[in-house]
Amino acid sequence: MATLATPLSKKRQEAPAVRAFRATPFTYGTLLIVAAILTTPLVFVGSIALSSDATVNAGSYTVIPREFHWDNFSRVFGTELPVGTFLLNSVLISLFSVVGQVLSSGLVGYAFARLRAPGKNTMFLVVIATMMIPTQITMIPQFILFRDLGWVNTFLPLIVPNFFSNAFNVFLVRQFVSRLPSQLDEAAMMDGLGFFGIYRRIMFPMLRPVLIAIGIFTLTHTWGDFMGPLIYLNDESKMPLALGVQYITATSQAGQAPPWNLVMVGSILLAVPMIIVYYLGQKYLYEMDISGGSAGVK
Amino acid sequence: MPVDKLQMSRRGFLGLGAAAGVITLTACGTSSGGSSAGPLVMTVWGGDPDRKTYQARIDLLVKKYPDLKVKLQLIPNDSYPQKVQTMIAGGSGPDIMQVAESVNTYSSKNQLLPLDDLAKAAKLDTEQRFGPVGSLYSYEDKLYAIPDRSGAVTVFYNKDLFDKKGIKAPTADWTWDDALDAFKELTVPGKQWGYSGAEWWPQWWSLAYQNGGTIIDESGRPAVDSDEVVEALQWAGDLVFKHKVVPSKADYADMGPDIGGDQAFPNQKIATHANGFWVMSGLTDAKFAWDIAPMWRGEKQAVSAFGSGLAISRTSKQRDNAFKAIDFLTSPEAQQQIIASGQDVPANLEVQKSQAFLKPSWMKTDVDMGVFAESSAFVFRAPFIPEWNEMIDTISNGLADFWLGKERSAKKALTAVQKDLEALIKSGS
Amino acid sequence: MATTTAPTPPPEAPAATKSPTAPKKPKLSKRRRREALSFYLFVSPWVIGFLVFLLGPMIASIYYSLTDWDSFTPPQWVGFQNYVTLLTDDPVFWKALWNTLFYAAVSVPLGLVLGLWLANLLNKQVRARKLLRTLIYLPTLIPLVATAMIFRMVLAPSGPLNDFLGLFGVSGPNWLYDGPWVKPALILMSTWGAGAATVLLLAAMKGIPRELYEAAEVDGASAMRQFWSITLPHLTPIIFFNLIMGLIGAFQVFSQVYILVSKGKNPAGYDAAQTMVPFLFDQAFSYYHMGYASAISWLLFLVILVFTVIAFRTTRRWVFYETEVK
Repeated sequence: MATLATPLSKKRQEAPAVRAFRATPFTYGTLLIVAAILTTPLVFVGSIALSSDATVNAGSYTVIPREFHWDNFSRVFGTELPVGTFLLNSVLISLFSVVGQVLSSGLVGYAFARLRAPGKNTMFLVVIATMMIPTQITMIPQFILFRDLGWVNTFLPLIVPNFFSNAFNVFLVRQFVSRLPSQLDEAAMMDGLGFFGIYRRIMFPMLRPVLIAIGIFTLTHTWGDFMGPLIYLNDESKMPLALGVQYITATSQAGQAPPWNLVMVGSILLAVPMIIVYYLGQKYLYEMDISGGSAGVK
Repeated sequence: MPVDKLQMSRRGFLGLGAAAGVITLTACGTSSGGSSAGPLVMTVWGGDPDRKTYQARIDLLVKKYPDLKVKLQLIPNDSYPQKVQTMIAGGSGPDIMQVAESVNTYSSKNQLLPLDDLAKAAKLDTEQRFGPVGSLYSYEDKLYAIPDRSGAVTVFYNKDLFDKKGIKAPTADWTWDDALDAFKELTVPGKQWGYSGAEWWPQWWSLAYQNGGTIIDESGRPAVDSDEVVEALQWAGDLVFKHKVVPSKADYADMGPDIGGDQAFPNQKIATHANGFWVMSGLTDAKFAWDIAPMWRGEKQAVSAFGSGLAISRTSKQRDNAFKAIDFLTSPEAQQQIIASGQDVPANLEVQKSQAFLKPSWMKTDVDMGVFAESSAFVFRAPFIPEWNEMIDTISNGLADFWLGKERSAKKALTAVQKDLEALIKSGS
Repeated sequence: MATTTAPTPPPEAPAATKSPTAPKKPKLSKRRRREALSFYLFVSPWVIGFLVFLLGPMIASIYYSLTDWDSFTPPQWVGFQNYVTLLTDDPVFWKALWNTLFYAAVSVPLGLVLGLWLANLLNKQVRARKLLRTLIYLPTLIPLVATAMIFRMVLAPSGPLNDFLGLFGVSGPNWLYDGPWVKPALILMSTWGAGAATVLLLAAMKGIPRELYEAAEVDGASAMRQFWSITLPHLTPIIFFNLIMGLIGAFQVFSQVYILVSKGKNPAGYDAAQTMVPFLFDQAFSYYHMGYASAISWLLFLVILVFTVIAFRTTRRWVFYETEVK
């Protein structure tokens, strides 16, 4: 990274005419320092994850790794800790949640954007208003509801609500559909296609970017969700990774430090899929974030 | 083009996902439905070693009664109240449930099964099996849990450091002054401290009760602002901030992350440490000579005890089987496992007096395990009020500044705590 | 988002739907009925979800909040007693509220200012911009639970942060254990995710017409001046959006507190950091005060509402919409 200054000077003649965009050594210095500071914890995590048990017990790990116990990554899938089960649970819960959100929010959002019906605008105002309501208000009654349904200690309370769409996602889809030309569905209508047919044949494929974005939002949210599993899941064998990682630290032997190296391996396993998903889908996210963020402007 | 591929796989994925979803959902639905004839569910808290010990005991049980099946559920300490609530309130409370100081949160709300009749039918005499602890988990004259683990706070001391200074081992007859003198002798400023174990409630409450105080008085009112309690807390606080014979939080922080007395004692940073049995788990490989002694005395003898019992939740559909299991789990045969694994002190007196307890196989040095039986004679009875969890949180919150050295007056700190407790216990009952 | 959520959209705001011109021919009325029917059918997942998972629970929550209920035995009607106790006789509530406000008031603006500053730097013609942007954004991709685990290590008394401070001769505090430092520790952890705002703001900066800068350049405006008079005003809608979302999120902070300063292992730290949702969680699930906890949730909602309304009320003064210029 220290060589960055050289290519800069080579490109001097292309330097922008506008001062606001001119990069000075100060710009580089600041960015490098910030990037270094922000990255340090991640390097540190890697270092702890690669430490031996003895190093962890003595608390003598360092930011820059000095030992490389790669077997820690296979150890967590062994009998020591049920991280493999945690991971599988995370995948199951997230997968169904994503399917639920994509299916329901797409359809609802499309209806709000294209179909006409009495009371629609009022209903949409309600959709918007519900975005403001903190989940804590419904936390206790929902808990009672799921308890009475006998759903406690199953994945159902975490998955099923996703099949009933979510205000923010509906909003995103509606905005997206509003910007699509309506000739296509009108033509399909002429061809005698019903509204569901239009949605399934014409709209659904066109909604791909926004549905992928919704999928990613749902995935990251469900994957990292801690409070939901904390409330609803009791059995260790049903915990997703986000709760499992905390469970490991909370059930470490009294008077002893948790197995931080394995906990950090768990944290890495928790983080890496999200990083991959983000990089695969980032172009969709930018589009949605911006349109969501400045929807009022357009 | 990857785009086409993505589209293909997405369609397949959606179809597959939906199909799998239906299957899983129905599967989950059925499995949660019928829970009446399943295995007994037993909830315990703690860590992995606890799980192993409980499981070993359950294995013995199943060997003896092959028709019983027990599913053990280990829950982290933090979330135990929440998990148990979820289960009880959901109508599928644990059949066997570990309870401790907060037992009456449940018994006062009628969530536990009174065990008197079941015990009588099984000819289980708790007084005989557990001594005075036998009736520990009673509420309004009904027994709600059978004692399972029970061990007093003991004083761990580093024999080498004591010998070096020519100080005699601590005894039950030490007074507060004797203790303070010894701690001062044993302290090397900034490097070694004479004592650790003042801040947690079982530790400083011992002093309060030794001094004739109580946390909750006989009429059920909080009494933490009494002169006796104030004096005891002041003495404990002075150990840290006036005499500096106990490490402060800052001192602990300098020793490393997550270090407290339980770790500092094996590291020879402190010479004496008062706490529960589990401290021994960090001492099996100690490179120095150590032993335990009973807690010293004040006006009178008094010491806290840690323990837990086994209860049956009212929603259990297999009460008789659950009691049969509890009866066996607290019998000498099963209780031996508790000491054999080095988990804790078994509540069963017979086991406490057995060679298996006095000379555990894993113990490499000579440790005076008789101290536990000796201490049990002067264990004080902590107020197991229904608002126990709130009370402990209120006290630990109210004394936070005191233990940071920001509020040096125990009188002021406890006056504030008393006010909070009065609000809590009035409104809670 | 901004104008759409406003209670009364100004007349010049875009129409909610881009519906084709209203049909005049009567033969369409049957089609319209069918369309309406389809609409209700299509939105039924939302309607059912709204009724079952939101409206129903909200009504139940209002009822619970007016009772004393331990979730085991039938609720006892107590009227407004829970609210009265919370507001007049519960020091922990006020402490949790203060902690929450403090956390929100510091972490959200701080994250935005840092995010804006970094975005402005990245918006310059820097080499390796993609790499730098990635490094800055990376922390925000880490799930909260993992982040909290990471920061338990980073903020340990002899962890990397204190080592780093040591380089400057500062002996770092005992972040997670020493009462007054726990809140700064939480804020520090949230600041690690400032990159989330950076990426949004950076994308928005790209959309600002370059001619504006070129014109300013001709007028001899400095880089700083160009930032203040061109970049910043154009970003206000995004900043506003982030501010609202950030505040709402900050008021609901839970996992961070629950994991970073675990109640079981670090009660003093937990107490010092206690915010509204952990307070609510404890009341509901550790003390079994379901009614009381429900009352807390409504007070929390009220607080969020007040701050959101304040934010919207002040938008006219500082949020700059392109539509106003056109």
